[in-house]
Amino acid sequence: MSSDSALRYEAALKVTGGAVFEAEVPVAGLLHAALVEAPLSCGEVLSVDATQASTMPGFAAAVSHAEAEALQPSPATALIRERVIHFAGQPVALVTASTWLEAKAAARAVRIVTEGRPAVTALAQARDKSFAPAMVGRFPAESRRGDAAKALADADLVIRHRYETAVNNHHPMEPHAVVCWWEGDKAVVHTSTQAIFGTRTIIAHAFKIPAADIRVVARFLGGGFGCKGQLWWPWMLWAMLAAKKTGRPVRLELTRAQLFTLVGRRQETMQDIGLGFSADGCLAGIEHHVIAQTSTHADYSDSTAVYTRFLYACPNVTTTHRLVRTNEPQPVPMRAPGTAPGMFALESAFDEAAERLSIDPIELRVRNFADHDQEAGRPWSSNGLLECYRVGAERFGWSNRPERGSAVDGHWRIGWGMASTLYPAIRQACKVRLQLAADASLRVQCGTQDMGSGTYTALGQMAAAALGVSISQVTVELGDTWLPEGPFSGGSQVTASLMPAVEMASAKLRARLSQMAVADERSPLSGQRVEDLDFQDGAIRSRAGNAGELLSDILARGATDGIEAEGESAATQHPSLAATSMGYGAVFVELGVDPELGEIRMRRVCAAFAAGRILNPLLARSQYVGGLIGGIGMALHEMTVTDRASGRIVGDSFADYLIPVHADMPDFDIAMVDEEDAHLPGGVKGIGMLGTAGIQAAIANAVYHAIGRRVRSLPIRIEDIIG
Amino acid sequence: MNAATVETSGSPIDEQAMERATVALSLTINGRLHDVRTASSATLLDLIRDQLGLTGTKKGCDMGACGACTVLVQGRRIKSCLALAASYDGEAITTIEGIGTLEALHPLQAAFIRHDALQCGYCTPGQILSGIALLSEKPQSLEAIREGMSGNLCRCGAHPNIVAAIAEVAGL
Amino acid sequence: MSGSLFQYSRAADINAAVTQGSRAGAVFLAGGTDMLQLWKAGTIAPEAVVDISRLPLDDVAYADGKLSLGAMARLSDVAAHLEVTRSHPLIADAILASASGQIRNMATVGGNLLQRTRCPYFRSDGLACNKRIAGSGCGALSGENRQAALFGASPSCVATHASDLAVVLAALDAEVEVFGAAGPRRFPLSDLYRLPGVTPERETNMVSGELITVIHVEGASRFAARATYLKVRDRASFEFAVVSVAAALRVENGVIVEARLAAGGVAPLPWRLTGSEAALVGRAPDAQAISAAGNLAVADARPLAHNAFKIDLLRNAVIRALQTIGYQP
Repeated sequence: MSSDSALRYEAALKVTGGAVFEAEVPVAGLLHAALVEAPLSCGEVLSVDATQASTMPGFAAAVSHAEAEALQPSPATALIRERVIHFAGQPVALVTASTWLEAKAAARAVRIVTEGRPAVTALAQARDKSFAPAMVGRFPAESRRGDAAKALADADLVIRHRYETAVNNHHPMEPHAVVCWWEGDKAVVHTSTQAIFGTRTIIAHAFKIPAADIRVVARFLGGGFGCKGQLWWPWMLWAMLAAKKTGRPVRLELTRAQLFTLVGRRQETMQDIGLGFSADGCLAGIEHHVIAQTSTHADYSDSTAVYTRFLYACPNVTTTHRLVRTNEPQPVPMRAPGTAPGMFALESAFDEAAERLSIDPIELRVRNFADHDQEAGRPWSSNGLLECYRVGAERFGWSNRPERGSAVDGHWRIGWGMASTLYPAIRQACKVRLQLAADASLRVQCGTQDMGSGTYTALGQMAAAALGVSISQVTVELGDTWLPEGPFSGGSQVTASLMPAVEMASAKLRARLSQMAVADERSPLSGQRVEDLDFQDGAIRSRAGNAGELLSDILARGATDGIEAEGESAATQHPSLAATSMGYGAVFVELGVDPELGEIRMRRVCAAFAAGRILNPLLARSQYVGGLIGGIGMALHEMTVTDRASGRIVGDSFADYLIPVHADMPDFDIAMVDEEDAHLPGGVKGIGMLGTAGIQAAIANAVYHAIGRRVRSLPIRIEDIIG
Repeated sequence: MNAATVETSGSPIDEQAMERATVALSLTINGRLHDVRTASSATLLDLIRDQLGLTGTKKGCDMGACGACTVLVQGRRIKSCLALAASYDGEAITTIEGIGTLEALHPLQAAFIRHDALQCGYCTPGQILSGIALLSEKPQSLEAIREGMSGNLCRCGAHPNIVAAIAEVAGL
Repeated sequence: MSGSLFQYSRAADINAAVTQGSRAGAVFLAGGTDMLQLWKAGTIAPEAVVDISRLPLDDVAYADGKLSLGAMARLSDVAAHLEVTRSHPLIADAILASASGQIRNMATVGGNLLQRTRCPYFRSDGLACNKRIAGSGCGALSGENRQAALFGASPSCVATHASDLAVVLAALDAEVEVFGAAGPRRFPLSDLYRLPGVTPERETNMVSGELITVIHVEGASRFAARATYLKVRDRASFEFAVVSVAAALRVENGVIVEARLAAGGVAPLPWRLTGSEAALVGRAPDAQAISAAGNLAVADARPLAHNAFKIDLLRNAVIRALQTIGYQP
């Protein structure tokens, strides 16, 4: 299967406004919902009184903890069943009315009586109460290899610094929404979720109903980046309770302000990193200690220091992760979870070491290249990092790097910086169904999601290639739990998960079609050997003698109703993996710093990525560039701020939370390094998050290169440059 | 913070006042006249999306920042979430549905597809309408396009491809 | 909480506007770009909205050195107007540095001048803000105050004014014409805004029911050749100023004969840097004079916990702006 820059499958729908997002599903009798938020950041709800609200025009119903008590207890229902307030802005009720304006007005009239408790509103406030989670995702929270403390004590050069990263919010352009209704005891839920099957499971458990009685639909997602997941469920369930109570469809759409508090965040981190080097630049020891924020109702730790365990070769590595509970919103994974904050610290520290050692930053990384996964003690399935350095450096012109502080363009001091990036390549279990109609048009079905990542296109391309038909003959169906169960959209795992399932299903179809041809004396391929057959251009052709027959003719003869097959694939079996699989990259940036005004402006970015087989270079480039832009935002602009006195977010809008705009865009040069990987089905790795790590350090390194100032906290802003 | 009991309540609005709080409007949308009655407080965005069912125009922030709600009024781009519907009585409005169809795409829509100037698609209608308006201002450089489009946010990072699509149609 | 419902009326003429706008709970609607944000955030809760956007007050005219900008003129129209771009480019530059294309098509001159502060404590409906709820405290003072004022603040309020156009108009000695129940009156822009003092909720010297009708800028074309608006932002576009400077000079025979300097993002109103102006007159626009002007600009700055960087930034921005127009031939 060769790569193919097929146009995005659903692009025509999206550019004409014809892609219906789930809030937009037309349904008669719709009620609109608004959430009622608690005004304090810590305490208890004593009563919720909707009596006054119920007299408002258009009011239909209110639901609160009382209604939620009918649901089964679980993490997904905790926030709506329990009357405990964990963070400012936490919803305590949901109100429905005939219009959105009426719902908001009614929500304002709900009387809440609360009792406040002392709140912890900043990580620094409770640092001494930090604790270690047992696990960090699927990794242990602590790791120890060799004796890093001794290695650092004995090292020729030690770099020890603290690096800090701010709270970010995901802010997909589409706010979370649900349109839901009940048909008897069966639920229909249209919602912007990255996990339709996970959502179905949650609903089934909460309402104690069979999964088969629940349909969850998410055909188009306006972005997700990790926040359209578990933290959305409580509010979605309240909407479902309201739909049950009123007997009418209910729509809840979150406001942009609510996307700062209700659906997750990238946790702030405080990272203490120590790198010990020998004089020739070989790593002797690494210590990487992380402290991060979590809420008072759940634990989450990014895998921030996990990648330090194996990115570079080092015999002595100690890493720890600790959490501090605050009365702030709960963190969840956000695009490049763990790698984004962790690589900022590691790749900045590496650069600081390179300067002290007088070794070129790339050369220092090359010298410490890990030729196998030293932490797990197994080989890489493929590691193209060295090639990424080489290709990226060449395209960027790294050998022409000016002396630090010497390049000037008017008021701008020019800086160049680089960094490594990586992201795991893993798969989830997946099922697909292929249906080939009599006219050889192909329908591919998988209950997975597309949040802009290109799943529609990937699936269509894979199926088309597997059966040798044109993608214009393929219809792709996603985002419905009536379809075969597919993976959740996250972890850059979907494309890789689909590949083996599509291959299995298509192999079955190919086998059946081949048999229908060779076994039928009416077929030009009659008597041919199945092994000699190729599928291309909507036909089967024999390599031995050039005989061929259109699929549609084969089907017309033997299967006028068409044929179908299902395929499935398994998730990555971590304990029994023979090799570790990562995608890698090297990111190079050139930027300008105005030392008097403090402004930082990106000029160009060059990145080389080695992430297995690229199915579609056009869409892959979009993913890579999109990831890099997310990283630029984290490096230079994004910061969610809490008012310590009240625990509320200060500036909960796009006017204050800045993400890169068109005028911020540098030129992007993306190199996709060819890479084969026999361990991975189809050689496919994930790519969507590679761009969002590494670039933050590359930027900090470039700022240092420009003005000789080392900034060790993100975002890097005017006040870090001036004064 | 000491433990304290806090009460919150809003003020009710009497029903007659609510009934008075509607307006009758005539708007031409994509060439078609609509006579509607809507809340005095309704934005043009909510009227278009919720009341008229034209969901191509998107609500991303409802505060005039993201630009996903961009529509054209007499060919000028505005953010419909900050437009009080009542204030636009009698105006001619164009939404994404009025720009082109699957069978007859506007050149900028076709360019967006070719350049993959979209990912999740949620900011896309707003970017296209904004781009069409910008094209009528005859931008003279890529830099002018970037500056001119900065009122349209994108979280997926489709910016470079969006600018490339606009630049192609602009002949730059 | 946000989004209280209101009644709508369109003022048939200016007298009707004044009558309707004078009622308790009424607010004017021009472009709506600020009013609707404030209403949705729950910062304001109007009972009645009086639409003045179609009043015939959108004329832009220039004659005998007198520029008049109708208060209902859209920002984009003003910035594109020939008489503005030709003889008052500073005004066009400030407008084009403001907001976004869409907002500039909606927003009006009058509305831009009367926009409320972007201070996030004001713009929420739950954070402490004396301007929004008298006596509730100033959350920014002891909280997050990166945006806060260096000048003109009080213990009650440290918010800044956000308009770019106001900074330029202040530098050009613009005058404001309003119309109210007592008829028309006209006064310098510098008399429009109030410092917060102990009454931060009172932001202007306009009375209830009054609306701005015309902005007058007279004799300002003499600055057209040497004027610049420098806006410092975290990102490259579509952001309110962290700090901004409007600077204009008249230079004759290598000597500065007139200087105008105003700063944005540093005070509750556009901050004329009169000390710096006076120090520049009579001097050559050289490095020493420019540096002195920069230092004078920040002499009385009073920083808070998070905005001290704005002192150096303002000084450097004044210097940069003066360099831009001072060094040109």
